[in-house]
Amino acid sequence: MFLKSRPIRFLFVYYAALLVWLSTTAMHIPDGYLSPLTCLIMFLIVLPFWVIGIRKIRETMNARSVPLIALLSAFSFVIMMFNFPIPGGTTAHAIGATIAAIILGPEAATIVVSIALIIQAFFFGDGGITALGANSFNMAVTVSYISYAIYQAFSKGQPLTSPRRLIGAALGGWTGVTAAAFFAGVEFGIQPLLFKSANGTPLYAPYPLPVSIPAMVIPHAILASVAEGLLAALVVAYLQRSNIAVLQAAEKPALLNEAGVLRKLRVPLIILAALIVATPLGLLAPGTAWGEWGTEQLASQGLSFIPAGLEKLSGLWGAPLAGYNLHALGNASLGYLLSAVLGIVVVTIVVWLFTMLITAGSKTRERKNS
Amino acid sequence: MLNTKPVFDVRQVSFEYEGKQTALDHIDLSVHAGESLIILGANGSGKSTLLKLLDGLYFPTGGEIQAFGNPVTEEALRDDEFNFAFRRRVGLIFQDTDVQLFSASVLDEVAFAPLQLGLPRDEVNRRVDSALEALRIEKLRERAPHRLSGGEKRRVALASLLSLNPDVWLLDEPTTGLDPRSQSWLVEFILKQRNEGKTVITATHDLTLAEEIASRICVFSEDHQVVAAGDPQEILEDHDLLHRCNLAHYHAHHLERI
Amino acid sequence: MENTSSVKRSSNRSDILEHTLHGITETLEQALFAEEISARKGLFQSLDARVKVISVLALLIGVALSHSLLVLLAIYFLALLFAWTSAIPAGLLIKRVWLALPFFTGLIALPALFITPGPAFLHLPLLGLVITQTGLTTAAFLLLRVSTSASLTLLLILTTPWNTVLSALGVLRVPDVFILILGMTYRYIYLLLHTANDMFLSRKSRMVGRMDTSENQKMLAAISATLLDKSLNLSSEVYLAMQSRGYRGAVVTLKPFRMQPQDWLWLFIFLGITTLAIILGR
Repeated sequence: MFLKSRPIRFLFVYYAALLVWLSTTAMHIPDGYLSPLTCLIMFLIVLPFWVIGIRKIRETMNARSVPLIALLSAFSFVIMMFNFPIPGGTTAHAIGATIAAIILGPEAATIVVSIALIIQAFFFGDGGITALGANSFNMAVTVSYISYAIYQAFSKGQPLTSPRRLIGAALGGWTGVTAAAFFAGVEFGIQPLLFKSANGTPLYAPYPLPVSIPAMVIPHAILASVAEGLLAALVVAYLQRSNIAVLQAAEKPALLNEAGVLRKLRVPLIILAALIVATPLGLLAPGTAWGEWGTEQLASQGLSFIPAGLEKLSGLWGAPLAGYNLHALGNASLGYLLSAVLGIVVVTIVVWLFTMLITAGSKTRERKNS
Repeated sequence: MLNTKPVFDVRQVSFEYEGKQTALDHIDLSVHAGESLIILGANGSGKSTLLKLLDGLYFPTGGEIQAFGNPVTEEALRDDEFNFAFRRRVGLIFQDTDVQLFSASVLDEVAFAPLQLGLPRDEVNRRVDSALEALRIEKLRERAPHRLSGGEKRRVALASLLSLNPDVWLLDEPTTGLDPRSQSWLVEFILKQRNEGKTVITATHDLTLAEEIASRICVFSEDHQVVAAGDPQEILEDHDLLHRCNLAHYHAHHLERI
Repeated sequence: MENTSSVKRSSNRSDILEHTLHGITETLEQALFAEEISARKGLFQSLDARVKVISVLALLIGVALSHSLLVLLAIYFLALLFAWTSAIPAGLLIKRVWLALPFFTGLIALPALFITPGPAFLHLPLLGLVITQTGLTTAAFLLLRVSTSASLTLLLILTTPWNTVLSALGVLRVPDVFILILGMTYRYIYLLLHTANDMFLSRKSRMVGRMDTSENQKMLAAISATLLDKSLNLSSEVYLAMQSRGYRGAVVTLKPFRMQPQDWLWLFIFLGITTLAIILGR
């Protein structure tokens, strides 16, 4: 019976897992999926983004910002409840972070979406309380910054009614949510690596990176990301037609530092990109992440062809595969992985503090000059 | 001595929204302490805007407004002392209670103004209690504003100002969304404030309300000007005038009934 | 009955309205129900909100840290016990917790039974799949952790009026501005939900025939944009209303809490339970 062979069984189960995840496209990580350490680290990662958001709000909007942030957070909450129809006959939930970022800029949008998430967690039991840091990072920070950068790149110098803005909003929303799904996948995927009992039983989310990343990214790329991008584009289109004032108001802060929008966002965007690349690579390096699905393992299980990419990748890292013997992973690689994650966190925080200091200085200078 | 000065002195005030949309066109108006002035006008005639100007929320694009003898300007209100003094004496009830009631609970709502204006906590608690009692809404104390009925919301809105006990009440369409019983209760409330010597300025297009509470009426035309001001009875019987200002249909009906 | 698959599909699409409407109504009802339960007499209702917030947060961390299934199970039953003493209908907590969250979690955990490497526990004869012991344990961990956490959170939500939770956060040194924003957000969520509900209903009443996907999308976008516009307008108006009553950027709130002896007692009990859980669950 062909199902007896491990690789086929793996594929079967893999797609089953994928389908299951497909049905839960809301991306709110509940309590219990992530280890306390991961939760703590995610809070630390998201903290500077919150600080920057609050500073930005204070600077640009002062007293007026309280009701504005509250109302837009409420808006974001309501948007998350909409079942948005997407091509193909199903529906998905959008996050609304793209629209918030287009209207308010990514710094304030981060705060707006985070508040909606906090209210969902604390008052409606949607998404975990301990996972708030992770959820805020994925849905508020990632989506806001990425979608805004793409939207701005497309609409720089374009008139308010330009169709290029629609493309920017759609692509921005799609990319933002897909990246957010990727981060969620990484957060899930490092759990079985780092946190297991003495006999190797994963204590939290059970699937390793090669399962969790595609399982999060693929369904989101087809569903929630599409919903987010389409909704953002259609809302921009609607505003262009019948309420251009809103877009105009949104444009004002951007006009003030016209060329500076992308430059100003460069640092956070580079950090996001670095996190995207570095996290899985750093964690995969010792080869443990592939667990029993390492190339060697697949070959020994009778799978005569090894996916070319997989082979190349494992060659690239050149790390010996531990295969089945989980004890061989030992404490050394666990230490490595921990320090890798911590390293990323520390670097991020340091870079952020640096950026904040620098931008704070230049801003006061600008104000003095004007 | 203060009483010799008008509560509000509005001189040649104009106001344009962004985009050059005129809301008020050279308005002259004096409001005296203790009177109940009705600003009568159709929707969009600018009466709500005037209340916001009187409350120092918007500032005239032309002309000047004085309150208690002091000019009300953006600069003046930036001054802490003036701001506190002004806000303690003048209170505005918004037409939309969903705008007025922004707090998490009735208690927070009623305590908001006295807390913001720096009253000590004990005093705030005392005022909240007596405001809730005066409006007979003690039971709603812990409730969330969005759970209340239209009439209850209006009561909480009034309580949120009563806890401040202002000298001047600005009421914007206070009968919106009220059933007849709540309306008659509202009239009672306004008359009670007047008896206590408060000044009440009410913007409305509700002729019945005008008839019941006005000591003076000021009529706004649809081109944002004051077209008449004076004795309530005279104005309410000037059928032509009301008709011109798009206020007459209901009134004609009303007269026939009498 | 001409229930061909294509008809079914298009009818599903116009049910998008129904779906969203249903979701909105459910949220509104849920909150109403929580208010009703929080007004009942019971153990959790009688406690100071600060005690509840701290205790539930501590227990959540205890649950997250535990490496022992038994400890997780114990905390789960403890949560059920507290629900029972807090006048929460017995079935409710179990139903709310086990039908929504862990249902999905269960589906997610299912493949883990087979693909987690480890000694075999059970061979499924027909599928040729093997349930491993580690797979079973890992699935149990996930399910128990998720449902225990969800039960604890629900316990807090159901027994505490949300504005009390807000004030409690204030006492816990969360800045007043943040609490004001949270309270306002919560308050206006209801206004916007009602507005959205009304817009959906009015579209529904005017709807002739079925709408295709793109019409549905445009309708949702129009509703979203209208809501956005309403939010922005409301925020300026609310700002005026706040200014009118003396707001100038700094927020002052009442702090109406007084800890009773029994609040202290329960705080120590909960923290004790958490410490015990952490020690036993290592």
